[in-house]
Amino acid sequence: MRLPRFSLLGFLTLMILIFVNAPFLIIVPSSFTSAGYLSFPPEGFSFDWYLKILDRPEFIDAFFFSLQLAAITAIVSTLLGTLAALALAKYKFKGRDAINALMLSPLTVPSLIIGIAALLFFTRINLGGSFLGLLLSHILISIPYVVRLVLTGLTSFDYTLEKAGYMLGARPLNVFWDITLPMLRPAILSGMIFSFLTSFDNVTVSLFMVAPDTTTLPLMIFNYMQESLDPMVASVSSVVILFSLVFIFLLEKVYGLDRLFGLNAQQH
Amino acid sequence: MLKRFPYLFLLLPALILLLGVFVIPMLFILVLSFQGVEGQFSLENYKTIFTDVYYWEVLWKTIKISLYTVFFTLVLAFPVAMFMAKTPGKLRGLVTMLIICPHLISVVIRNFGWVVILGETGWINVTLMDLGLIEQPLRFMYNEVGVVIGLTDAFIAYMVLAIATSLYSIDQSLYKAASILGANRIQSFFHVTLPLSMPGVFAGITLVFSLSMSAYVTPALMGGTGVKVIPTLAFEQIMAVLNWPLGAALAILLLGCTVLLVTLFSRLVETKRYKEVFSS
Repeated sequence: MRLPRFSLLGFLTLMILIFVNAPFLIIVPSSFTSAGYLSFPPEGFSFDWYLKILDRPEFIDAFFFSLQLAAITAIVSTLLGTLAALALAKYKFKGRDAINALMLSPLTVPSLIIGIAALLFFTRINLGGSFLGLLLSHILISIPYVVRLVLTGLTSFDYTLEKAGYMLGARPLNVFWDITLPMLRPAILSGMIFSFLTSFDNVTVSLFMVAPDTTTLPLMIFNYMQESLDPMVASVSSVVILFSLVFIFLLEKVYGLDRLFGLNAQQH
Repeated sequence: MLKRFPYLFLLLPALILLLGVFVIPMLFILVLSFQGVEGQFSLENYKTIFTDVYYWEVLWKTIKISLYTVFFTLVLAFPVAMFMAKTPGKLRGLVTMLIICPHLISVVIRNFGWVVILGETGWINVTLMDLGLIEQPLRFMYNEVGVVIGLTDAFIAYMVLAIATSLYSIDQSLYKAASILGANRIQSFFHVTLPLSMPGVFAGITLVFSLSMSAYVTPALMGGTGVKVIPTLAFEQIMAVLNWPLGAALAILLLGCTVLLVTLFSRLVETKRYKEVFSS
């Protein structure tokens, strides 16, 4: 990488990037402290606070619970979102624009209000505090991303390939399986990873939907932090950061982060 | 039915989910917000909110915090977006990565980092006291300053992405034209970059404002019990006081206020743009 000449703009950018990443630059080092309290710069170096996680089964349970929830959310929302996007892209029908807007509407309503609405309604129909309720609310907030990504994938889709498949005598399901799906793979896969991260990171909706005995990891950190601030929060957070980075790296490889967020890399 | 409307078969699962988990619950809280103590229709929840000065103060504080957040994200995001637009290649990729990565990591963790930096025994206070610059720790947290710092960090990526999108779409030949016409770099910034970045800036402002208005996690962690905003009040009413109709009314009020302010803002911006177009 060629380093550019010094520029005021470059310097400002560097400062702002440090600001945005400051929490991580602080958390990860302070998780290796050997002191019994949280401090930065950390005192000494040890893995004590990582080993102490093992003594706290509730953190490990919460981690696996979050993992499970995020995995099921990713699978279901990818399935439902992809099917819906296919319908929206391939068929012209009355009310299509309205349905398209409806599919993306959970993005426009704050998750706090989605959480409140889901809690109050689900309690009324006896789903309050159930795993199903939590799962459904997580699927709801990740479906719009899948729909949007797959729709974007379908706008640049070369439909003549499907036609060619039909002309060569393939059956509709075969055309879908052998032509449509492989071409949409990056969009679908990144939709799935993004859904996973959306669910795995979520606090605001989970806050209203979890049962007292089963809680997600971010929510557990949220609650723990309000009571005590020890290096344990730093070590648990570091594990979550590392774990998230793996999935972010996957997203970058499969789809490209700039493209995912609508920054077209092809322009100049 | 399915033969005639094959798309229904594909849409149905997602539609059912959206209706059951989103549309119906939203209508449900709207109805609930008009429910009195005995379950009858009444306006008393809204009356409670509108006649109590306390709620007005909290609403104003929520709006104020959101405006500060918009201001700081805008000021910080603009240089980054400009740098991204000017720098092609790998360096741009790296900057994009360093903006988006934190954005994809849980806000609870980012706020925790800020607690370690800004807290009473946090990095800044300890450093300043070690240097002998201050005697008492400064209060960066459990007040509005902490909340604004936390929210700025939480939402800056939205602003950067919005502005960068509009900067990327500026036709590069405009810069050439500007320099042929004798504009220096500052003039071409004010006459080309800035006006053409406005759609992105307005989109970013709208987005960050709405997100800040309804943020719950950051005010709870960085503001503690000291900073009350409408989201924390709504949470309290629903989860602690268990006054669900009042909580629902607060949620509706929050949504209504945000939509109203955002609409007013875009109207204002649009009429201004029309005037500019017609006067030139």
